[in-house]
Formats: sequence, structure tokens, C-alpha cells
Amino acid sequence: MATSNSLTALADFAGALLPLSARDLQTQIDERLAQVPNEINPYGFDAYGMCPDWMRQVLLPAALLYRYYFRVETFGIERLPRGRVLVISNHAGQLPFDGAMLGMALLLEATPPRIARSMGEYWIARLPWVSVAAARSGALIGTPQNCSHMLENEECVVAFPEGVRGMNKLFSQRYQLQRFGNGFMRLALGHDTPIVPVAIVGSEEQQPGIANLASLGRALGMPPIPITLTFPWLGPLGLLPLPVKYRIYFGEPMYFEGEESDEDAIIEGKVDEVKDQITRMLERGRNERKSVFR
Amino acid sequence: MEKVLITGISGGQGRLLARRLMANFEVCGVDRVGWEGHPRGIRVHVVDVRKKKFEDVIRTEMPTTIVHMGFIRHFRADPKVRHDVNVRGTKQLLDHCVNNGVQNLVVVSSGYVYGAFPENPYFMDEDSPLSASRSYPEIRDLVEVDTLASAFLWRYPHIRTCVLRPVNVLGYFVHSMIGQYLRQPRVPTVMGFDPMMQFIHEDDLSEAIAKALEQSLQGVFNVTGSGEVPLHTAIAETGGTAWPIPELLLRPMFSRLFRMGLIPYPPGALDFLKFPITLSGDRFVEATSFRPMFGLRETLQSVRG
Repeated sequence: MATSNSLTALADFAGALLPLSARDLQTQIDERLAQVPNEINPYGFDAYGMCPDWMRQVLLPAALLYRYYFRVETFGIERLPRGRVLVISNHAGQLPFDGAMLGMALLLEATPPRIARSMGEYWIARLPWVSVAAARSGALIGTPQNCSHMLENEECVVAFPEGVRGMNKLFSQRYQLQRFGNGFMRLALGHDTPIVPVAIVGSEEQQPGIANLASLGRALGMPPIPITLTFPWLGPLGLLPLPVKYRIYFGEPMYFEGEESDEDAIIEGKVDEVKDQITRMLERGRNERKSVFR
Repeated sequence: MEKVLITGISGGQGRLLARRLMANFEVCGVDRVGWEGHPRGIRVHVVDVRKKKFEDVIRTEMPTTIVHMGFIRHFRADPKVRHDVNVRGTKQLLDHCVNNGVQNLVVVSSGYVYGAFPENPYFMDEDSPLSASRSYPEIRDLVEVDTLASAFLWRYPHIRTCVLRPVNVLGYFVHSMIGQYLRQPRVPTVMGFDPMMQFIHEDDLSEAIAKALEQSLQGVFNVTGSGEVPLHTAIAETGGTAWPIPELLLRPMFSRLFRMGLIPYPPGALDFLKFPITLSGDRFVEATSFRPMFGLRETLQSVRG
């Protein structure tokens, strides 16, 4: 108890030193988290290890990135339906800042505020600290069963069907959507769930990739390790993304009809509709911006 | 009054179950050790389930129901003996059931049979693969026992067989590995990992077994208690101090200490401290309307007595 008291005191002290804008952001995070309707046990966790208290303590840096570094602007977030929904987005940028910023948008700007239940790659569970941080902030390993649980609990599931193929895109491949997995469409059909296509503009330039070291990644039990303009040349500092401007476009919810067990060809047709919608929004976003940084 | 025979009756869980069933059943049991001061009306036979004498007990006691929970779950014994008692013992018990007109059988397996893996979904149902042997070969005998019992269930449908897979059992009387682990003043954990875990109180497990018996339940069922918490929260709630150690040090340390016989946990157990296995108990609840009496807090605090 003594340590937690002194921690709280320390946090209060740090809070007093924060500039006003950051304190406002923190208040906003607190208020928004308080409105989230998730079922939390007496220890502060939901059944999947998500912990609003933990988020309260660590989300400020992400919110600062959101407001002042990436200067995220959202379009059409009011289209997000209440209840179960599958948010399907493009994925790029070597490190999943796009996932974090989309999550922040859903928390800070959606009505009601939503916790992004992101469907993560399997290898995330093997990483110390990262696996815990992911679980506490609401992410899960992206198995079909986990996604089903979330949809049945009326959650907002975020998936990047490009997966690592998207995250590892080279600079020359920016805004070219890689192959989409089909799993999300089967789940949407099986659970009568609307799909909201999302296009994130900005993330695809944040960390220009030059090459990928697949064999090194394999040896580490991870996806291919990227070589970028700054990494590994500048060491850990090179992991810092460029201060690109993020624009996040939310499309009209798409309702599909069909069977979860339909043949791949039929499912792929529906997946392509979602993909086309995201491509159109990406084009719109690139036309609307003045430059990568503005 | 129907007669029930419990294997492993002298263990913590066996004793609790025997007392729970006394009111409604005539209770007898077998174990490799005796039960000093057992209640009158309960007969305890000291036999080895692998021996001929065990079948003699069944022939003379003529139970209509058997609860099989007499497994060696700790690692202090010779691994060969452990495997033989658990696997061959179960096989012979199943044969005795067929030959001696037993009508109901409950096998108390465990939730560990699914194994702890990074790709485990939350709330696994009973159809999930039993993969524990892949990362934790020391408990493959428990997986074999579960498989034997499940196969028996389909092969002899006229014997009402029920396989229960409870989550981590905690309590004052039961000697579970997880209980021993949480009872330590400083509890080693894997640095950077904090998986969700489920616990059930020993009295709730007895209640669940009793419900399965009373309703002559047939099938394979996960049995869960009240909710789930991260490992470090469980450690704090049981009054211990977590002691996170980097895996690079912890794993070799564990294997060496285990081989020297200084700690009772094989290195395969470490994965259970890294990756979640949480089970869905819905099927059991639907079949029996079982509700745990103990909340999470009471369950966790029960390890300190």
C-alpha cells in the first residue's frame, strides 16, 4: 500500500508540473474512460485483461502524440454505429502507431467513447511487456474465437487485414493495399456485424521502409525486421516516426448478407468491396492534403 | 442409498468430496495412503489402483458410481511411477467399471490439458485441442488420462461418464501446485508477462462434482469459478510478493533446480505463467445450473487459510 500511495503522490506531483493543455487532455481521457460501458471486475479488469485504470495512467503520451505530433484529424467518425462493429483499416508504418492513433480517435472522438478491441498478431503474445500493455489497453490475439467473443459482447473490434504485409510495406508500396485476409468477413457474416471501412492517411509515410530482413525476423520469431531511412542507423531513436499529419476517414457502415461458411470466392468478392472503399477514401485523403506534413 | 467410490479419497479434495456426499450417498474410497480420523460411515481402503486388490474392493463394495480423482499431480515421485499410476491405473479402473456394472463415472481431469500457448483464445471450450504435452511433457500423462476417459465416454454410452476439467483449484485443504506456488512469500514470475488466470475454490469444485453425480451427467465439461484476474493481482491478493525474473535466467534456473529436486515445478510450468488459459464453463453451467459460492477474492484468500 505504501508504494502505491507514494506512486499516487508522485503522479499528482507530475500532474502539477504538466502544462495546462496536457492536463486538459488527461481530464478528457479520464472522463471518456469513465463513460466506457465495459464490465469491470472488482480488481479493475475486464475478463480479457483490459484495465481502464491502467489506461488512465499511460494514455497521456499517446494522446499528446495524437493532438500535437500527428495532429490527427478524423472525418465521418459519427458514422460509427453503436454496439458491435468491425472497424477495418489499412495498416502501414513499421510500428503500429496507426493502430494506437485509431484507438485514441475511437476513445476521444467517438460517441459514445469506444475501446478499440484490436486483433493482434500471434507473436505479440510472446513479447515481454508488450503483451501485457496490449492486453491492458484492450487488444487481443486475433483468433476467430476472440473476435467472436468481442462481437457477442457488442464491442468495437479493430482489425488490419493486411497484417504484417501492410506494416512492412516499403516506401515505394505506400497506399497500395496488400492482400486482405478473409477472416474478418466470415466473422461479420457469422455475427451480423456492420463493417466500417477506415482509411488512415499519413501513417504510410511515417517511417519510409527501404528493405525487410525476413531471415533475421524469422530467427527472432518475429515478422521481417525493417530497414528504414533512420533505422537501424540511428539506433532506438531511429524508431521515431516522422511528424506526418494523420487523417483518419471513417466510411459508411457496410452490411453484408451471406453465410459464414460460403466459399472463398464469394467471401473474397465481399472483401474486395471493403478494400475498394478503403482505396477510394485513401485517394480522397491524399488529394485533400496539402503535403505529407500538413 | 446409492454407493459411490472415490479414488484418492485421502487427498484434500477427496476428503472434502467424501464429506459433501455423505448425506446423500453411501461413501467408500481407495487411496495409497490412509485417512486418519475419517468420519464413521465412510470406508477407506488402502490399495494401489494398479493392483488386483483394487478390483477386489470394487467387487465387494459394488459401487454404482465411481469418482476417479486419485492421480499423482505433483512431481516429487519418480516420473515413471507417476505415469504408470495415472495412465495404467485409469485404464484398469475403466475396465473394472465395464466388468462390474458401474453405472456412473466422473473423472476429475484438469484445465491444464489444453496447455498454455501464445495463440490460445480466451474462454476455450471443451472442443479445443489438448496440446499441453507440446510444451509441458511432464504432464502428458494427465492428457492421456483425459483422452482415455473421453474415448471411454463414447465407447460405452450405457455407462454415464463425465470428464470434468476444472481451472486452478485453491483452498485450505487441497494440495494443488498452484496453491503451493501462491503460498510462497516471494513468488517468482516471468518478467514482462502477466496472463489472465481463473481459479475455483475447493468447496465449489466438490459441489460441481456432486452436481455431476446427482444428475448423472454425461460428457466433457470445463468447470470454472468466479471470474478471472491477472497473475500478479492474484499474487498480491493471496498476500505474497511477486518476484519478476527475466526468462533468460528463470528458465535455466528452473530446469537446474528441478533436476536437483529443489523445486517442485518443471520448466514447462513456466508457460502457464506467461500465456493465458481461460476456459468457458458455459456448457457445465447450462447442464447443471452450477453457481460457484465463492467469489474471486474469497477464493484467492483461501490459500492462506
